[in-house]
Amino acid sequence: MTAAPPPGPARKRSPWRAGQGFWTVAVGVPAIFSVMRLWIEAGGELQTTLLLVANVGPVNLLAALFTTATRLVTMGLVTVFALGAVLSVSTAGTPRRPPLFARWFTLAPFWFLASVFGIALATWQIIYLPMLAVAAVAVFQRELAALDWSLPRRAATVAVLLVGYGWLVAPTVAEAWRTGELFALGMLVVPPVLALGVTGPLPGPLVRPLAALAQPGIAIVLVAAAVPVVMTPVLPMTVTTVSTASGVPEEVRGHVISTDDVSTVILQERGGVRYVDNDDIAARVLCPTDEELVRYRLRVRDVHVEDSLLGALGRRVRPFTPISAACRIPA
Amino acid sequence: MTDTPARPRLRPLLTAVAVTLTMTLAAAAACGPDKDPAPRTVDEVLKQTSVYGKPKIRIGVAEDQPLMGKLVDGRFEGFDIEIARYLAESLGFNGDSRIDFVPLQTEDRENALLSGRVNLVVASYSMTPEREKEIDFVGPYFVTKQELLIRVADRAVVRNLSDLAQPGRETCVVGGSTGEREFTGRGLKVYPAATNRECLERLLAGKSNAFSTDETILAGYLSEHPKDLHVVDVPIGANERLGVGVSKQDPALRDLVAFFLRKSFDTGQKTDTSPWLAAYRRTLGPWLGEDVMQPPIDAPDLVDYDEKAPKG
Repeated sequence: MTAAPPPGPARKRSPWRAGQGFWTVAVGVPAIFSVMRLWIEAGGELQTTLLLVANVGPVNLLAALFTTATRLVTMGLVTVFALGAVLSVSTAGTPRRPPLFARWFTLAPFWFLASVFGIALATWQIIYLPMLAVAAVAVFQRELAALDWSLPRRAATVAVLLVGYGWLVAPTVAEAWRTGELFALGMLVVPPVLALGVTGPLPGPLVRPLAALAQPGIAIVLVAAAVPVVMTPVLPMTVTTVSTASGVPEEVRGHVISTDDVSTVILQERGGVRYVDNDDIAARVLCPTDEELVRYRLRVRDVHVEDSLLGALGRRVRPFTPISAACRIPA
Repeated sequence: MTDTPARPRLRPLLTAVAVTLTMTLAAAAACGPDKDPAPRTVDEVLKQTSVYGKPKIRIGVAEDQPLMGKLVDGRFEGFDIEIARYLAESLGFNGDSRIDFVPLQTEDRENALLSGRVNLVVASYSMTPEREKEIDFVGPYFVTKQELLIRVADRAVVRNLSDLAQPGRETCVVGGSTGEREFTGRGLKVYPAATNRECLERLLAGKSNAFSTDETILAGYLSEHPKDLHVVDVPIGANERLGVGVSKQDPALRDLVAFFLRKSFDTGQKTDTSPWLAAYRRTLGPWLGEDVMQPPIDAPDLVDYDEKAPKG
């Protein structure tokens, strides 16, 4: 016990450094992401990238990034804080310096954690919400323990929650079993069971290896999950019907970069920028992209499992978006 | 949810297992978009059809059937035409500038599909086992029955099929149609005309005593001559199911047409408004009364962009 590090300047600096690292990531990653997305959107062409940079405002870019990257960001934060919570509980009372994620978790105020989980609850696909429940139990385990409920009360609460959850997802689970969608089945059934056991400290010998593996592991998973987000278009997909001299209209499929009094600039889906005279434009329609197609036919109480609660709420306001025939025309 | 004093040693192990499984599940969710087999999408099937990427779709239609398919002032009109336009638009051919309506005689319909002259036939096409040997049908999109059209002046003379069996009386039917087989099978004298219009002209001219075909076609002619003609509601054969003809060489197109007909049926069931209902109410409805769309058989379950829309 004599080897315990003295509580000196290093302990004062470590929270600061940990907080600095966190905010550097929180601000820097979106900025880097935005530039990467424009680069990819431009098809790797320098001039097209510059054209996009000149026409896509930073506010629009950030709003588009928020719309499409919220899930990734909250997924990263939720994972970090969940692991941080487990590591924090596991290293409590030990003299060694806590692992990085545990320090981040300790630094994060309650309102921030609650906000992250609130945004995740609203924006995650419903099929992944059971995983969010597991993370919530891990992150807020100290608050739950502070309630100091008796064992019968705890057991009754857990039983009510599980029965309610079972009622909610039972038809979906049965359908997933019937159609052989085993991953979806697992995502709905397994997490509630895991939530029962995810609290409490880990065995001592596991803490340091887990902490050592968690940081690169999460980095790899986030990078893998970030690839489709980086490739998600920044601008909406449209099909513009352009009149031609031959009389047969031409459909230009792509993203509208800008419009002025004379022409409309379209970044074509197949590549290249097209300047179209406004007088030649007969029609323009908004089109969905392949990424919006679903993989599952499962619904939880008439809400599609790949929809978010926010999206499902929106669909209650505008239930049906007709797809224009022009969207079916090949690029 | 915290340690219980009774099992202090088991609890960390349980936590370790739960955390490990959670991380594994999370990693699988984040990295593996292809966990379960994806369902077929409309776009995938569309790419397999013969019409994908073509500037126009060619649809065989009737040009002489009022209320069903008729050329009026250079533009096709009728229930079949409305169905054809709905299907064409669903397949990515929006507006008449992207549809080649090909007028077809009744006896030419199979050949037009087999030769590839048309991609679809939407022309009061009865789904029969004989025809299904040569081509594929999608439907039914309408169930009709065969009736008799007579002159108003003959109402007292022609009341049923027995009256038409009298010597010297003939019934005009279109050659090659299902009606022709029904009448010849009963030993009635028939005049096999080339077109429905020819039958109508023979009836109006007094050369034929009756004209028999689907009620939809007869309703069209009745709408043109409400004072001169009368429909006799007699049982002739079984109900006929009208379907969309598709070449057997294009199963993907068959699947898509079935999917979109089914979609129209489902929409009508839920909202009492659909492309089918709109087409019917604009054309046949005023003459035949309220009707409902039949559910198309063998419609595939495909995924489209509106999959997340509320079903209830």
